[in-house]
Amino acid sequence: MELFRALGSLIEPPSREHERIAEALGLPAPPDRSVHGNVVAFQRYPYASVYLGPEGMMGGVARDRVAGFRRALGLESGAEEDHLASLLALLAALDTRRLEEPDQAGRALLGEARVTLVWEHLASWLGPYLASFEGCGDAFYDAWAILLAEALDEVTGRMELPRYLPAALRGASGLADPRREGADAFMAGLLAPLRAGAIVLRDDLVRLGDEVGLACRAGERRYVLRSFFAQDPAATLRWLASHARRWSVRVAGRGPEPVARWWAARATQSARLLAELAEAVVVEEGVAAGVTGK
Amino acid sequence: MSDRRGERRRRGERSRAIDDLNRRVSASRADVEARGETFYPGASRVHLAAFPPRERWSDWVELDSKAWPERVERRYMLVPTTCFNCESACGLLAYVDRDTLEVRKFEGNPEHPGSRGRNCAKGPATVTQLTDPDRILHPLKRTGARGEGKWERVGWDEALDDIAARIQAAMDEDRHREVMYHVGRPGEDGFTERTLAAWGVDGHNSHTNICSSGARAGYHLWMGMDRPSPDHENARVILLVSSHLEAGHYFNPHAQRVMEGKKRGAKLIVFDTRLSNTATHADHWLSTYPGSEAAVLLAVANHLIRTGRYNHGFVRRWWNWREYLEEAHPDEPVTFEAFGRVLQELYAEFTFEFAAAESGVSAETIEAVAEVVAGAGTRLSTHNWRSAAAGNLGGWQVARALFLLNALMGAIAVPGGTYPNSWNKFVPRPIRMPAQHPKRWNDLTWPSDYPLSLMEMSFLLPHLTAERDGRLDVYFTRVYNPVWTNPDGFSWIEMLTDPERIGLHVALTPTWNETAFLADYVLPMGHSSERHDLTSYEQYDGYWIGFRQPVLRAAHERLGRDVESTRDVTPGEVWEENEFWIELTWRIDPDGSRGIRGFFESRKRPGEKMTVDEYYGWIFENSVPGLPEKAAREGLTPLAYMRRYGAFEIGRGVGAVYEGQVPEVEIEDVHVDAAGRAYTRAAAPPSPNVVPLPPLDDDEEGRRRVGVEVDGVVRRGFPTPSGRLEFWSRTLAEWGWPEMAVPGYVRSHVHKANMERDQMCLISTFRLPVQIHTRSANAKWLNEIAHTNPLWLHPRDASRMGVETGDLVRVETRIGHFVVKAWVTEGIHPGVVACSHHMGRWKTGEGPRQTMATVALTREGSGWGIRRKNGTGPFRSDDADTSRIWWTDVGVHQNMTFPVQPDPISGSHCWHQAVRVRKAGPGDRYGDIVVDTARSRRAFRRWLKLARPAERHSPDGTRRPYWLLRPVRPERQAFRLPDEKAAATPRPAANEPDVREDGQSDR
Repeated sequence: MELFRALGSLIEPPSREHERIAEALGLPAPPDRSVHGNVVAFQRYPYASVYLGPEGMMGGVARDRVAGFRRALGLESGAEEDHLASLLALLAALDTRRLEEPDQAGRALLGEARVTLVWEHLASWLGPYLASFEGCGDAFYDAWAILLAEALDEVTGRMELPRYLPAALRGASGLADPRREGADAFMAGLLAPLRAGAIVLRDDLVRLGDEVGLACRAGERRYVLRSFFAQDPAATLRWLASHARRWSVRVAGRGPEPVARWWAARATQSARLLAELAEAVVVEEGVAAGVTGK
Repeated sequence: MSDRRGERRRRGERSRAIDDLNRRVSASRADVEARGETFYPGASRVHLAAFPPRERWSDWVELDSKAWPERVERRYMLVPTTCFNCESACGLLAYVDRDTLEVRKFEGNPEHPGSRGRNCAKGPATVTQLTDPDRILHPLKRTGARGEGKWERVGWDEALDDIAARIQAAMDEDRHREVMYHVGRPGEDGFTERTLAAWGVDGHNSHTNICSSGARAGYHLWMGMDRPSPDHENARVILLVSSHLEAGHYFNPHAQRVMEGKKRGAKLIVFDTRLSNTATHADHWLSTYPGSEAAVLLAVANHLIRTGRYNHGFVRRWWNWREYLEEAHPDEPVTFEAFGRVLQELYAEFTFEFAAAESGVSAETIEAVAEVVAGAGTRLSTHNWRSAAAGNLGGWQVARALFLLNALMGAIAVPGGTYPNSWNKFVPRPIRMPAQHPKRWNDLTWPSDYPLSLMEMSFLLPHLTAERDGRLDVYFTRVYNPVWTNPDGFSWIEMLTDPERIGLHVALTPTWNETAFLADYVLPMGHSSERHDLTSYEQYDGYWIGFRQPVLRAAHERLGRDVESTRDVTPGEVWEENEFWIELTWRIDPDGSRGIRGFFESRKRPGEKMTVDEYYGWIFENSVPGLPEKAAREGLTPLAYMRRYGAFEIGRGVGAVYEGQVPEVEIEDVHVDAAGRAYTRAAAPPSPNVVPLPPLDDDEEGRRRVGVEVDGVVRRGFPTPSGRLEFWSRTLAEWGWPEMAVPGYVRSHVHKANMERDQMCLISTFRLPVQIHTRSANAKWLNEIAHTNPLWLHPRDASRMGVETGDLVRVETRIGHFVVKAWVTEGIHPGVVACSHHMGRWKTGEGPRQTMATVALTREGSGWGIRRKNGTGPFRSDDADTSRIWWTDVGVHQNMTFPVQPDPISGSHCWHQAVRVRKAGPGDRYGDIVVDTARSRRAFRRWLKLARPAERHSPDGTRRPYWLLRPVRPERQAFRLPDEKAAATPRPAANEPDVREDGQSDR
């Protein structure tokens, strides 16, 4: 479907040509580049590997999976093959190839490839990713995320989806318990959606500071989080626990059922751990030291 | 129940809404793209749309980076042209400031099918060549002695009249041979050859025999076409005999496709003695001893043959194996089974162990590579251009052995294989194409000593003029610098300063160079954005044309201002060559009585000069299929389309032309001879593509060759004498080289058996990736990146010599020596040294200040010397950057110390040198060059002895096989050897002792 290529292109930095695409899709006019920078580039990184990798960073095994998938299709694998625009363009290209494929067996194989792409590399993470645009403060991206989610639902609704979970979700470890695995692993997990079940944006951290009454230091997210823990570990943990609970609700029902359930369950599991840690901090100051790494 | 119905209804509505949106966006895209506009501007991974959309090229706004942190907007007109800093002809986009009409920068042209918007450093650096404070801006005439450095400004008219008068006189006195045009890399398809054909002068001289002719001869003998066009992008195995990824021919278009192939899982095999950047990207790097490459390739071939893993069907159908058996094995039955047996026996000696002993690469590694090749199927793309083929005696056999692998696998002109260039290249037929051929043969460029030479024996010119009473009355050097580029540069100086040998030397060049210093006229020509040219190169399975144009001329025209001549928009009095040639031709034949002027006369306005607009406009309207229609869809004339976008893809997926069945319309009274060659009386359909192809003889009854019969069907076949791939070359066999008629291995002149124990092989053929010979001179960005050329030396050898990195070493060749700094590195084969030929520019007085050392040039008889006075350094000019030059070293010129070493078959100069390397002595200084040209002459004669001249070996009394490619082909009669020739010129006997590189006999 050309629609996916068009939607994918809209996550790129806006240019004049995007206005025409947005108009064709009935979306509001795209914002200027500074809005894109704030909403997308600095907060909602449009790479599958950020959401499907155990480190929550670009690259690594999650990107390798996409690269391997492309190679299996005989396609070149580029430097950023797990970028959302690239994945959606690939989906559109597979649709076109399938339509043009004269051989029935070839069509069937391309159909299988299409299911794999959607299941393993798109539906597996787009539920929480698109949910993160809720309340982003920009009408264009808000509407874009809704439309992409609907289009994806439409495609998955027409597919016979696998019964097993996508590979990235199967057996993925949850949030590390700092009492057993140390503060660094815990902190890294908080910012890795696959482990935490929730996405923690920069805006979320600003809100945390406002709501809890902590000073929000300027810096990358891990640095900001560490400073919160240093100021008030129990309050920080409590806020994060409630954030994870809200996420478990927010992602439920987004995307194919088993995937949505997995994300909701992962967020719930994290919420429990965070709440437990918050209690423990209140009871025993020493844990706080463990959490903050002091 | 009603809830479920409601849910179904909602789903249905959503589904329809999504489908509707999909249709809308598809329609919108189709509509926008039909208008020639860009729909998706997103990241390059989806489309090449990170570039400014082409519909906005007339008014593109960017922030001025130099104004940062202020946000200053600049408005540009983006005008395409074609890079001229190498032969890849990549597309450039000039950013012309709309307010000042200055070119601010160059970036890639995404509309160019070959380079696809990507460039190497040399493309953007073009802007530094335009603003070079030392560039030549006015026509200059020598006033002192040649090389004295005294010049006066003259007008174009004076220069043109003077040159035209001399050419007229030469023509009147039947001295056509004395007019010669000597070109470096041409960078264009056909204009100048058309000019020479119009003049009736066999005066084309190229640089190719110091460049690619070795490999090209190998390819030509196989398939009738002389260049490979590998489809790296779709290959399973890519085999490069070169450092192609960083510096090879067409390297940017090819390198990006090699990387795409790799990303798709292709394995990359690189033969390169040095650990080049290319070698670092390889899955299998083979650091072969120089000259041993063919041995390794034949070991791979032997493996394929021995294990039966070659494409029997392809070999049976397309090789000339029958002809081979009949001629070379008359006792064998003419069956494919017998051929298979013979083939196996033929290459049985090339075991992995043999190849290992020759190359220094382990047998296990070679076997592993052979296995990889065996698994390629037809998706084997291979490439050799210069490298080993240009370095070694018999280097042409490297290409022949490499292409043997393709021929065994059937990996020829199929996806992922290697295509012949002529099927991936489009040279549009020009207006008023001269039908005549020169009547006289030029034996200064095509001496009968080298009847099979692929190209002109250009680098022998000083020796041939000296020893055979040769004289050139008007000698054009065009973007060419033989004093610096060719071997044996001092012999060139001797020739160029000798008025008996060179009457008038006209240097057409944008930049000062060592050869231009010795000219009589120096005429300033434009850089890539200041001239018109048409290009087309084999870079993938498709064909395209690229249009080089003066971008300011196009910019003015877009603003509605007429530009009469390119001179009107160039700096100073810089001109472009095409307008120059038109003007010169009119002055040679002002009233048309010589029958020349007509080729440059306007068709629309008879009696007036043809303009470049008319020349290219006619081509684009009449000779480029699909272009007029595409232009019309955008409401443009074809010329306006090319001025706006700079390139056009005529077609892709050309495929296996040889398999094509000859259509009925070409079948008339067909005669198929015993060899299967099919001839017809039907006329050849007119083709707008005049890409050079060999002329194949008619049959005895005057029918033309139309194809070859394969399994009962007349197919196109290959443009070879047999119509098939020529595993066995009748041409070689009949012209004196029967022992070389099949792909084989020639032990190079730098083979260890041909050198003394204390000698090493010097590799001098590799480039610095950001430099291209003379042309990138004074490109300040490039010079800052790369400005020196140390000698690569293996630690083992360095230790033996007591040399460390930075120490001076003296490198002694057969005719002299040079002194250079050592770079001790494990990235070179032990026993081999390497020095890039790119640096070491020099001047004796005024001249370019960014790249050239100032030297003292001395001569005593045949003894020449160069001693460096000083290197480069900061200086004041209009360009503030010149005061920031931080380097002083500009490298060492080594080519002057190399004797000419012509391969007796291909004619290629064999660049590798047998040298002695030792720690520099107390009297040696960095950059010293010492040469005795008397030794040069002796070296020439020694190599000449290897030749097998036409007088002794021509099977039919001609100078050269008629079917071989040749620029500006003279008429057939001129191919005949003059009866008295054999008697007039004493010739050395054939089969003289092998060339040994011990250097003792000259001392």
